Amino acid sequence: MSGGSVSLKGVTKSWGVNTALNNVSLDVPAGQFTALLGPSGCGKSTALRIVSGLDDPTSGQVFIDGEDVTDAAPAARDIAMVFQSYALFPHLSVAENIVFGLRVRGLSRNERDQKLASAAELLGLRRLLDRKPSQLSGGQQQRVALGRAIVADKSIFLMDEPLSNLDAKLRAEMREEIRDLQRRLGVTMLYVTHDQVEAVTMADQVVLMNHGQIEQMASPRVMYEAPATLFAAKFIGTPPMVTFSIKLLASALTSEFLQKCQNFTFGIRPEALVPDDNGAIAGQVAHIEYLGADTMVECKVGEETLLCRVSGKTRLASGMEIRLALNANDLHVFETASGRREDTMLKEIEMALSSQTAGSVSAFQTQTQR
Amino acid sequence: MRNSARYQWIYAWMLLSPAMIFLITFTHYPAVQTVVSSFFSTARGRRKSIFIGWDNYTTLMADEVFWKVLVNNFWYAVWTIPLSIILSLAMALWVNEKLRGRGFLRMAYFTPTVLPLIAVANIWLFFYTPGFGLIDQIRGLLSYPEQNWMGSPDTALYSMIAVAIWKEAGFFMIFYLAALQTIPPSLREAAAIEGAGKFYYFRRVAFPLLMPTTLFVSVNAVINSFRLVDHIFVMTEGGPNNASSLLLFYIYEVAFDYWDTAYAATLTVIMLTILTTVAIGQFFFLDKKVHYK
Repeated sequence: MSGGSVSLKGVTKSWGVNTALNNVSLDVPAGQFTALLGPSGCGKSTALRIVSGLDDPTSGQVFIDGEDVTDAAPAARDIAMVFQSYALFPHLSVAENIVFGLRVRGLSRNERDQKLASAAELLGLRRLLDRKPSQLSGGQQQRVALGRAIVADKSIFLMDEPLSNLDAKLRAEMREEIRDLQRRLGVTMLYVTHDQVEAVTMADQVVLMNHGQIEQMASPRVMYEAPATLFAAKFIGTPPMVTFSIKLLASALTSEFLQKCQNFTFGIRPEALVPDDNGAIAGQVAHIEYLGADTMVECKVGEETLLCRVSGKTRLASGMEIRLALNANDLHVFETASGRREDTMLKEIEMALSSQTAGSVSAFQTQTQR
Repeated sequence: MRNSARYQWIYAWMLLSPAMIFLITFTHYPAVQTVVSSFFSTARGRRKSIFIGWDNYTTLMADEVFWKVLVNNFWYAVWTIPLSIILSLAMALWVNEKLRGRGFLRMAYFTPTVLPLIAVANIWLFFYTPGFGLIDQIRGLLSYPEQNWMGSPDTALYSMIAVAIWKEAGFFMIFYLAALQTIPPSLREAAAIEGAGKFYYFRRVAFPLLMPTTLFVSVNAVINSFRLVDHIFVMTEGGPNNASSLLLFYIYEVAFDYWDTAYAATLTVIMLTILTTVAIGQFFFLDKKVHYK
């Protein structure tokens, strides 16, 4: 089994006045794990359902392996799907649930048994084959749903928030298992989730969606290190990127440069903000969140609130004065109105910060341990 | 503490008694009394009711009308039960789909249930009227001859069956519709992804999931096939020559037209026996095939 590619070209889906997808184009490379990520109502499930053929796009086209399947029935699309609710048939045994599709296609008893046995082996369901879905735990039900997808021998797996009904521990286990399964079977995976941790840990490519449009399509690393929009910056990462206006860095910049930066929003990851006695940013600790290995420190700096991640061993306590330093390389700049990333502006601000007086320079350049 | 424990059973009886008194007075006592009466003769004038053992039952075995209505009732059940169930299921499947005017259609299907059977009978009386009734008018357009639907022994019973099905199907449809709506749409979608067509989905998924409803509906249909006789009073009064008479209608005739209450009690015992046997049998037979959630 090897994966097929999926692509959407200019797909729009609307119900009356509500537009769920607005001119979305995306490519899912063959054999890769692609996560469709976004807040609820962003259109990611709609996109998945359009790929599956359960819903038809209002306009636009769907391609599977380069072939236009916009009007093809779900069964003719070389796809298998795992539903959020698993969609197991409650009156059928685990075995019958798994071979349901094989029976539809009229496979011989021998072939069915063979596929069933190998899928059951792969998923550790062998001893549960005679049970009814209601006698299984959530994780086991999930495996049965996976089994049904596996025996179908399709090259593209579609999953709609498959882990959202599981508890946290099981979710982490299944995350690994699904990722592993995808690699082993070599199938193309299109995986819908609202959980950025899931997307970042599992996917080769993350498609971040918001309001029916794609915000960014990139690898998890690129999406974290260079978010294309303000929304992406704030959606990816726990906790998300801290944003602030240029006034925060006023002490280190000339007034004409400050003027130039007015229409931009700046961002920095909490781990790039470091407490430093020589730091250029002076504030007060407002709140401490102890997480064990790390501690999240919320600082008030003028009107802004900054979040920084420090070691769990820190002695900082709320109410204390704090100075923070940052490395200009770690800054992100976005145009406030459009939310778009502005790398040219970033270059300029790096230059401006490094050409400043010695005192400030040390504050911005001493942090190189990252 | 000991006192309250000792007297707790009094509270229990006090709480139970209102319902129990009514049940015993109006259900259990009459039922037992019916069985008892069937072994006595009917009191007439100065002649008192006396114990006559199985005499009433011997009479019953030799009563041609009894056998006639029993056979009639058998055919009545054989046609109304499956047809009303199939029709109601088909209607439920249809109005469960997304379609224009669905609300109106659902209401239209349910209307016969809301109407009293007497009113329904009057409507059908007009349908069946020979010559200018609705059915004959349509037949007239296709140049078929007039037909006396309720007056001919061949068609009288079937005319009654049609009315009963028309009356019942809408009621059963509501149960099927409710059951269909508890089936998650994702099951249908999962089946569609696997390539199952509409009919395959119905056979392998929807119908098995509807089995609890089918059991409930079929028990009701059986009971109704003995119970629904109101339209016979209005339309045929069991005629012609008992062609459309049913067991319950005959019981009424015997009890309140001929005032042979003991014999009516005997007939009632027979009907109860049949109903109980069928209902219990149905329950045990179908229960094995029913998947409860």
